[in-house]
Amino acid sequence: MLVLSRRPGQKIVVGNEIVIEVISVSGDGVRIGISAPGSTSVHRYEVFTEIEEANRAAKAAISDDERSALENLSAHVRTKQK
Amino acid sequence: MPTITIKENEHSYDESEIITFAEGLIGLPQMRRAVLIEMDEFEPFCWLASVDKDNTRFIVVNPHELFAGYEPLLFHTPSNPLTLTIVKISSDWTRTTVNLRAPIVIDAKTKMGAQHILTGSDYQFAESLPQN
Repeated sequence: MLVLSRRPGQKIVVGNEIVIEVISVSGDGVRIGISAPGSTSVHRYEVFTEIEEANRAAKAAISDDERSALENLSAHVRTKQK
Repeated sequence: MPTITIKENEHSYDESEIITFAEGLIGLPQMRRAVLIEMDEFEPFCWLASVDKDNTRFIVVNPHELFAGYEPLLFHTPSNPLTLTIVKISSDWTRTTVNLRAPIVIDAKTKMGAQHILTGSDYQFAESLPQN
């Protein structure tokens, strides 16, 4: 990992388009501004890992015995749609 | 025609049906090429299955089948979007959840897809089934 020291107002550039600025520091908190192209997703790491976990859990939930659960579920949804 | 086996059923697919996820799915970067497999008995749910060796597969659903008012706000939406949400099935089917927070959006024309995390949204990554 690259570690850099920056002061409030100073910036870091990642690639050609992403600029990260330290806006302010107070106590043990840091406010960070990120400018990136719209196609680049920027998220708090916790949110990202939450989705990562959700994907893995959904994948793991598919086992041989979920057929009947899925049959019941789809029957339930279809009944409601009628 | 290549085939994929799900629930003991062999499904053939055409190369043109392959959906490409340039960055994979979140936490599953190896899931780059997948096909959507529909089975009458499980409608409206279908399978999003990797065509590569990793064998990853998900149960997915068009969220509007379950959550009529679902409207994810994306920075960029393709002109022909196909929105899918990942379903986490539970052996007690009533405890099944749907990931409304991170929908998969596919451009139906180019077959390019990505999983998006919605920001500033109240949608949950483990939303329970609607009650009524």
